[in-house]
Amino acid sequence: MAEGEPENLSTEQRVRRSVARTLGNLTLGTVLVGALGVWLSLGAYTLDPGEAAILLRLGRHVGTVSDEGFHWTLPPPITVRVIENVGMVRNEDFGIASPGESADASALVHESTMQTSDNNIVRISFTVQYRIGDPYAARYLVADLPAVVRSASAAAMREVVGRMTVDGVLRERRAELTAEATSTLQRIFDGYSPEMIEVQAVQLQDAQAPAAVRAAFDDVVAAIQDASRHVNEAQGYQNQVIPNARAEAVELVESAKGYREARIAEATGEAERFKALSVEYRKAPAVTRKRLYLETMEAVLPGVEKVIVKPGQVVPYLPLERAGAAK
Amino acid sequence: MRKFALFALFGGALVMLAVAAGNLGIPPVVITREGEQKLVLLFGEVRAVTQPGISLAIPFLEVIRTYPSGWLYNDTDAQGIQTQDGEQLVIDNYTIWRIQDPLEFMRAFASVEAAEQRIDRVVRDAVREMIGRHTLAGVLKDERVAVMAAITANARRALEGYGIAINDVRINRSELPPGTEESVYARMKTERERLAKKSRAEGDERARKIRAESDRDARVIVANARRESEIERGQGDAEAARIYGEAYSGEPEFYAFVRSLEAYRKTIDAKTTLVLSPDTEFFKYLEGQGRE
Repeated sequence: MAEGEPENLSTEQRVRRSVARTLGNLTLGTVLVGALGVWLSLGAYTLDPGEAAILLRLGRHVGTVSDEGFHWTLPPPITVRVIENVGMVRNEDFGIASPGESADASALVHESTMQTSDNNIVRISFTVQYRIGDPYAARYLVADLPAVVRSASAAAMREVVGRMTVDGVLRERRAELTAEATSTLQRIFDGYSPEMIEVQAVQLQDAQAPAAVRAAFDDVVAAIQDASRHVNEAQGYQNQVIPNARAEAVELVESAKGYREARIAEATGEAERFKALSVEYRKAPAVTRKRLYLETMEAVLPGVEKVIVKPGQVVPYLPLERAGAAK
Repeated sequence: MRKFALFALFGGALVMLAVAAGNLGIPPVVITREGEQKLVLLFGEVRAVTQPGISLAIPFLEVIRTYPSGWLYNDTDAQGIQTQDGEQLVIDNYTIWRIQDPLEFMRAFASVEAAEQRIDRVVRDAVREMIGRHTLAGVLKDERVAVMAAITANARRALEGYGIAINDVRINRSELPPGTEESVYARMKTERERLAKKSRAEGDERARKIRAESDRDARVIVANARRESEIERGQGDAEAARIYGEAYSGEPEFYAFVRSLEAYRKTIDAKTTLVLSPDTEFFKYLEGQGRE
């Protein structure tokens, strides 16, 4: 330690030097420790919810941290942290005009024009919603991810539309269209790197016929509505006519039943009356017969104009009742 | 102690500097980042292919070439193609590829751009060939997946030995060439008109059928009711006749007498003029009594 130092120093000088040396050592130590401490503190970082940190130690991927909160790694340049937002749902619009943009801009028309299986042209605008599933894969295993997402989405939607007829796309199978586009797109992404991207949804913003033929398409819809209106009207007619007929039927049958019962009742009544009468008649036939005859004449003749004629001559009967009535 | 501290300090600083330099791509430390692969060339000979992480190279003597290692996206320009059945299509596709073997790749291509141009050519040829072999309907619908798989396979084969791996060749747009749309629109329009007519006619047909069936059903319902009602009435009449017959058959003559009297009561009213003979039973006692 003391090599090379002159031997002829005083005790005081020796002490001074030793103190200075110790102080120097101390200062150097403090600087070292301080520098190390500052450097190590650079390894601290926090993650917000939805954020993930890709850790690259000397360039190599050593892990992905996705828990929110406080974390520490070896500081740069040993370990480099790349923060990626994985919670956020990202949207990619296709054929949707941004504010101030005309919906007929040629780029949008190109983006949204598709061919159906029956070689019709439709215009479909849609939004793909996705999340980064594996931030490491999204950033390092696939270069130019935004372009991949756009092209793959366009390919998936065209593939699905290409399997459907124009009526399926525009009306009958719209829900199926988005479901199939979602699964097809997911499958495409998984082929590039599994779990890299989670397709949340493919939302159909608009699906319609091109402007040049829209009126004709609308007329088909109107025709279908016309048809169903006609059918509804006919069913309304049916709902009126059948119950009417049933009501009439019930009336007919019931009135016939009434007739039948009335007839039987009348007949029974008359028969009973006759039977009762004939019992009496049998007891005194001549008297009963006469009485019945006279009673009837008594009842009938008063209101009747009567002309009594003796056989062989005409005897005018004075119409006294008439004269009386005329007074 | 002091020497050690100084050594540690300078040593540490030196390592840091080397790593920092390595991050900037300056040897002796070679840092290969994720998404990269590097060739270390000594006098033009490949000495090493690096993986992500740290490796060493001799400064000034060795040359480092960096290539991307992940899947790369290459958009091929749209091209007009004729299908087997003579339809024109404009096809736009993209390729997902990567540098599988950087050594072979370096020998084959001066740069990634050069490789992309080659891929473009290969893919365009594959697309044209495959689509030219299929009908429009096949390309659009039936064999779309198979067509794309075949294109991918063809491109993959054509680029074998160049250190390139093809993951996917995919059609992201197929449309009609400009100008031919009008004829498609015309066809679509006539087709729609036909459908509209058909819908209306079928609606009319169904409506008329329902009306006719309703009328028929109503008529049948009423007729059946009529039949039933006639049967009821007939039964009533028959029953009444039986009752009358039963009651009157014992005294037919008396019945005739009583019934006649009843009929007189009903038929003779104020408007009737009766011409009577004094000889009738009623007037038997009118002209002189006890003539008998």
